[in-house]
Amino acid sequence: MIKGYAGRILEVDLKSRTFAFKPLDEEIARLYIGGKGYGTRLLYDMTDAGIDPLGPDNPLIFATGPLNGSVAPQSNRFAVVCKSPLTGGIGNATCGGSYAYGMKKAGIDILICKNKSETPVRLEIDGDKSEVTFLDAGDLWGKGTYETQEILGKKKYHAVIGPAGENMVLFAGIVSDERIAGRTGVGAVMGSKKLKAVSVSGSRKLEMDDPEAFKEYTKTIRTLFRDHPVLGHSMEAFGTAGIVKTTNARNIIPTHNFKYGHFDKGMSLTGEYMADNTLVGTKSSCIHCPVTCGRQVNIEGIGTVKGPEYETLGLMGTNLEISDITKVQEWNYAADDMGMDTISLGAVLGFTMELQERGMLQSGLTFGDAAGVPEIIRDIAHRHGLGNDLADGVKRMSAKYGGHEFAMHVKGLELSAYDPRGSFAQGVEYATTNRGGCHVQGGSMYMESVGPFTINPQNLKLKADIPIVQQNLACTINSMVLCIFTTYGIVPKFVHEMDPKSWQYRLAVAAFENSGPMFRILQSIKGRPMLWWEKWMTFITGTTISSGHLQEIGGRIFNLERMYNLREGLTGRDDTLPPRMLHEPIFKHMSSGHPLDKLLPRYYELRGWDAGGVPTRKTLDKLHVAL
Amino acid sequence: MRVSVEPTYEMTKLLKIDRFEVEIADAATVADVVDKTKIKVGPEFDRLVRLAAVAVNGVLVNYRQGMKTRLADGDAIRFVKASAGG
Repeated sequence: MIKGYAGRILEVDLKSRTFAFKPLDEEIARLYIGGKGYGTRLLYDMTDAGIDPLGPDNPLIFATGPLNGSVAPQSNRFAVVCKSPLTGGIGNATCGGSYAYGMKKAGIDILICKNKSETPVRLEIDGDKSEVTFLDAGDLWGKGTYETQEILGKKKYHAVIGPAGENMVLFAGIVSDERIAGRTGVGAVMGSKKLKAVSVSGSRKLEMDDPEAFKEYTKTIRTLFRDHPVLGHSMEAFGTAGIVKTTNARNIIPTHNFKYGHFDKGMSLTGEYMADNTLVGTKSSCIHCPVTCGRQVNIEGIGTVKGPEYETLGLMGTNLEISDITKVQEWNYAADDMGMDTISLGAVLGFTMELQERGMLQSGLTFGDAAGVPEIIRDIAHRHGLGNDLADGVKRMSAKYGGHEFAMHVKGLELSAYDPRGSFAQGVEYATTNRGGCHVQGGSMYMESVGPFTINPQNLKLKADIPIVQQNLACTINSMVLCIFTTYGIVPKFVHEMDPKSWQYRLAVAAFENSGPMFRILQSIKGRPMLWWEKWMTFITGTTISSGHLQEIGGRIFNLERMYNLREGLTGRDDTLPPRMLHEPIFKHMSSGHPLDKLLPRYYELRGWDAGGVPTRKTLDKLHVAL
Repeated sequence: MRVSVEPTYEMTKLLKIDRFEVEIADAATVADVVDKTKIKVGPEFDRLVRLAAVAVNGVLVNYRQGMKTRLADGDAIRFVKASAGG
């Protein structure tokens, strides 16, 4: 077996309550790494087209990668893959916490949960004994994610759902510790199987090809991270909330259901304001991660809990025009405890508020007013009353009540908190990303709107190129499985220390912006490992991995996801943005919205797809995508 | 004409306000507003502005005429610090 892998896949049948350990396929591991990549390959091969995502034929796949189980910073996330009940296409999400580490300790690379149980069940997996115990979970059913994990105890590593997953809220997630695999409704699929929790334990150690080189190099990287302006300083001081002030200033934070990109009262939602006013001293991180991006806050009557991330502050703060940070903190806790994605939740609340504003639905929910929000969060999680409609997400809400033109989703997945009208490459990424409107399947906005070295986000230069490189890279990051934040470390300290008003800075940006195909060509060179994840992969697996190798593997994974979506009935027509994004200007100088029509054909061409967005035979053969 | 100014968080702590308006001449540029902000913030301004870009109505002036970018009545000038999040 290739080093870095445990070599075992565990298949569990929840109906017959049987299980079997099977060997990991080394060829698939070489082609797709693990995590999201391996999981997508399994999903494609195991399922027929058109299965009911909430039916017994949709497998729920928990997948780790070769970096999991190591002490490399940001290396303990797992991927969940299944057909998405929210989009009808590929469903996947990754999650930090400690569960991935637990799976590798148990000697399991991948867990496949098939079929569905008749009654609530939880799994206890003892990796050392190679045993799976099916336990009644009736006593846990209905409990929140925090209480469930507390009851399960700290001796094992857990992945659990809350009431939102149990009730098949289409944007329910799966929780490990205080982190969530939030997107595409993977928690609803777990709930459909009546699977409340998976607990793993074991004592296996990760085998590496060159453990000494890994150890020495990781020490160096930990030092680099500690001294890095983002990974070491900003993340520690402000968490992801440190970005609010930036996106608000640049007019790309969703406000009033994405009608605007700037919230005048946004200061009290910034990471800096939280650090001065609401954070308590404790920081938190995923297991073995030195980047303590988790923020702790006090909730009255609850205690010290995880504070809101940037996405939550955007979608449930500015988007709803709520400036009271304590309210957003309370709602964030409630959503985490119910086990649902705060991006989709905030988007569906914003959409409902705009329906109310336009007289299309009387919900009592209005922009700038916190009244009724706690109640509707509970109603969504339990599918009570109007909450039952909101639990189906923005796309289905707009089908029922109208408002397609301001329904903020792509392929059914609600948009993240970066307005693509001020971030054109991010817009292309939203439109083309296989799981729908999400930012962590690429992260183009970092290079054009929020990072320390940003090109003009509102011209056409590189705006079809950047998403491809970023999407391919993210596919591999989510397959190793690393935290996407690790990519923020690429920009060295001296760039952060440049004055963005200086001529030197502007010259460097102009040179990059006009680099044309060089940007992609440089990324595709198969050479020596340069970046830390390439070196870790090389030290652990014994196979040389460079940027070029990862771009190829990422392209393979992305195209396989694409073929899955096409098989499920999605087409190039689904590669679009909400009408508001395409037609309504958000900046004074704009006459219309995002220029997707000018960028999409170029994106397809660069991908090796035909004019309808279908990968050509030549492209699939070149990438070794077997169908 | 009048324009609004949104300083960085650090400047806000010194100023005790997160947004203020300034009166400027018709042909004024971003540099003129930066000068007025400097006076308002005081001696700490040079240190606090060093790593900040400037945006007019959300668009960095780097992509326009830099500090010589001409302003119009009602424009919003914002000091922007780079960051990264999720």
